Amino acid sequence: MKLRIAAVLSLALCTMLCANARAQSAVVERDGGLTIIRQQDPAATLVHASFIIRAGLDRETLTQNGIAALTAQTVLKTPVDGVPLQDAIAAKGGSIAAFVDSNDVRFAIEALPQEADAVFALAQRGISAPSFTPKTVDAARVALTTQIAQNQQEALQVGLDMLYGTRASTANTGLPSLGIPASLAQLGPNDVQTFYRAYYRQGGSTISAVGRIDALAPQALANLASGLAPGSSTAVSVTLPKLEGTSRQLVAHRDIAAPWLIAQYPAPAVGNKDFGAMLVLAAFMQRTLADMAEVPGVVSPTFASRAIGALYQYDRSQPNLTLYVNGGIGNPNRAFGAALSIASILATTKLEGSIDEFKAQAAGDFSNGVSTLESRAWLAAVFVENGQSPDYVSQTLAAIAATNGSDLQRVARAYLGSPTIALVLPRDKQ
Amino acid sequence: MRSQIVAAALILALVPPALPFEARAASGALAHGGSYVIEPDATNATSAVGLWFRAPSAGYANDTPGIGRVAATAAAAATLESGVSLVSLVRSVGGTISIDVYPDIIGVTVVVPASATRRVVAAMSAAYFTPSITEDALKTAQRDAAVLLAQRLYSSDDLLHDALFAQLFAGGPAHQSTLPTAVPELVTMSTDAVAKYARQAFRSANATMTLAGHVDTTMLDAVTAGAPGTADSPFDSTLASPAHDASIEGKAAGIGLAWAGPPIADERAATALDFVSDYLFRDGSGVVSKGLDPTGDTYVSGQFITLHDPGVMLVTIGGSALDDARTRVLAAVRALETPLDAASFAAAREAFLYHLASDTQTPLEQSENLGWYSVEGSAGYAPSDAQGQYWKIAQSLDPQYVATVVKRYLDRPVVVRLTTAPAKEPSS
Repeated sequence: MKLRIAAVLSLALCTMLCANARAQSAVVERDGGLTIIRQQDPAATLVHASFIIRAGLDRETLTQNGIAALTAQTVLKTPVDGVPLQDAIAAKGGSIAAFVDSNDVRFAIEALPQEADAVFALAQRGISAPSFTPKTVDAARVALTTQIAQNQQEALQVGLDMLYGTRASTANTGLPSLGIPASLAQLGPNDVQTFYRAYYRQGGSTISAVGRIDALAPQALANLASGLAPGSSTAVSVTLPKLEGTSRQLVAHRDIAAPWLIAQYPAPAVGNKDFGAMLVLAAFMQRTLADMAEVPGVVSPTFASRAIGALYQYDRSQPNLTLYVNGGIGNPNRAFGAALSIASILATTKLEGSIDEFKAQAAGDFSNGVSTLESRAWLAAVFVENGQSPDYVSQTLAAIAATNGSDLQRVARAYLGSPTIALVLPRDKQ
Repeated sequence: MRSQIVAAALILALVPPALPFEARAASGALAHGGSYVIEPDATNATSAVGLWFRAPSAGYANDTPGIGRVAATAAAAATLESGVSLVSLVRSVGGTISIDVYPDIIGVTVVVPASATRRVVAAMSAAYFTPSITEDALKTAQRDAAVLLAQRLYSSDDLLHDALFAQLFAGGPAHQSTLPTAVPELVTMSTDAVAKYARQAFRSANATMTLAGHVDTTMLDAVTAGAPGTADSPFDSTLASPAHDASIEGKAAGIGLAWAGPPIADERAATALDFVSDYLFRDGSGVVSKGLDPTGDTYVSGQFITLHDPGVMLVTIGGSALDDARTRVLAAVRALETPLDAASFAAAREAFLYHLASDTQTPLEQSENLGWYSVEGSAGYAPSDAQGQYWKIAQSLDPQYVATVVKRYLDRPVVVRLTTAPAKEPSS
């Protein structure tokens, strides 16, 4: 009887989790080395396209850290009709931003439907023919340096940057994504131009669009890539000998009010058989951390409830599960230590009770995380690049629904063995 | 083009066929009193459901700051006939709940995976239209409010906001804070008083239900509670005449500026001041914001708050270069008394329109936007509806009109200075 009830509950949960996938649809086109993903949303008030080019950190040498970000910023600062591309697009009712990841640079372009063709044409001009003048490159460097200074005030970001470095598959992909001010100061217009010519290629690039795509001219998306050189590029392989040592702790000091404790574990990529279970595990760890920290927010989100978290970054080239506690909630050691212990125990102890609540939480977290056009475009691209179909919602909710207690334990055993820990501490005021 | 479609219309075979969805925003009456506004988008994975009420947050006699928040939270925390509270239900389906309390209105918004929408609609209407405020639920709400109260002490913007409203308005809900000044005021609220407030404020006839995202009107069938009646009139506040500057103490220094603006009924003037706040103060792109040292700690935050009557232009400044930032703010406002040149204005207006769309793209943002504008004035004026009145007005703004509105409303602001309390002398 008990088993039967469990089966009915599972069926109900599956129905609940899967049902909202019904209207998700996407179209994938491939033309040579270019992939275009379209998700038409007639109710949207914007058109968004994420243009992903294989010109990320893995194209940098160790002496060039920051060149990928500097090149992308140079595109944004390129004068178009007398003003920087970013400002020209804003004046047309749109936006453009650039993000650098391990393998790629992503230009996020957005526009009002009535101005979409004009905005996309401006973006195409800037991306196809950047200005490599000293003035433009200097403006890009200033923008990056400012952004780096701001990021240094964000303890979680500082910790994540350190941890990415330890998990990188090659030395260059573990470098800071924006570079550091000292390395940027060494890079000039010629370096930017050389990097652009080598790596801004059509081959391997992806354009993922969502929203009122119908407002665009038929070739507007493909035209974004039309100005890039044909063919594809290969990554720069940079390996360094491993440092000898047993410590798995990294420490940094910054101008912050309270210490942050951050632990990172490797995690499966989307499409991996463990993907759904890891999402459920992340929900479980989030709840455990909140309970351990005795987060007081009963209804309203509070400082305390935002100060702890479990972050499954499945969209990174090196996916990871990150647990963090902000010491501003008091003594973070107890919550952090307990969470790490539970992660370890989970792998070896038989799991009792239902995991349905964590599955629902995982489904809710995932669904809430894909509510902006930018996140919808980005996730579709991530799924396609990982060999999946672009209907990320259906696949993910189905993977969560199919997870059982044994899966959870298997995944905990496979991934939650040995974390790398980063401590970001306040500077000594003396 | 040599293209190959490798995947099309990827809809899982195991799921039921799609229900018909409305293409645009629509509104109507709820079956058991109250109204609804719906803005469906079937491509979203989530839905947002809101309940918005006209209610004075400090009580109907404006003498109990915080009672609106406590009542709204207690109703969400109270166990329903189904055996679980609204909060527990929302968490069990992986959703989130937010309770937003303003001086004259209260909003409760739930975001859930789309398939749970109907259950949430039923639970929300039960929790609020027939509120059952128990002692346990009250304690939960008081604890929740106490945490927010402690947090507010560290938020310069919140302290300045409340102080500016207290100076700008001589009476009415906007003169009061939405939280009490100290915990003892919270814990003396009785179950009877909170229950009485909840029954009056949260009756269905006084409610607007908003639905956005993966929703359709059939979900409204889940509303089974409520009773017919009429909504309360807006709870307006009395402007101080004249309004005086003030100084308050806090944990960090700051400066706040406020001007009384047009009522929501003057849609063109209210839209013009939204444009002004976007042009001057939007984070990252506003003229004043961009003029600040990007590596410094000084920031300026500004917005036009579209209240029923009157609205308020409110600017808060924090960081170490307060007076310099204040000078920049006032100079930028003065400069707008002269019409911008046509090209600059056209660019700023396009950017404003884009920001409108960008800021109202998620179901949560749409639901909150529809709720706010419905209870303050008119759902048809909600900016989230790109086919609505707001967009027509925004597109028709011109430099001369904006300059006229700036001259009319943004003359002398009320100023509140937030200073840090001097360190106490150690007692001997």
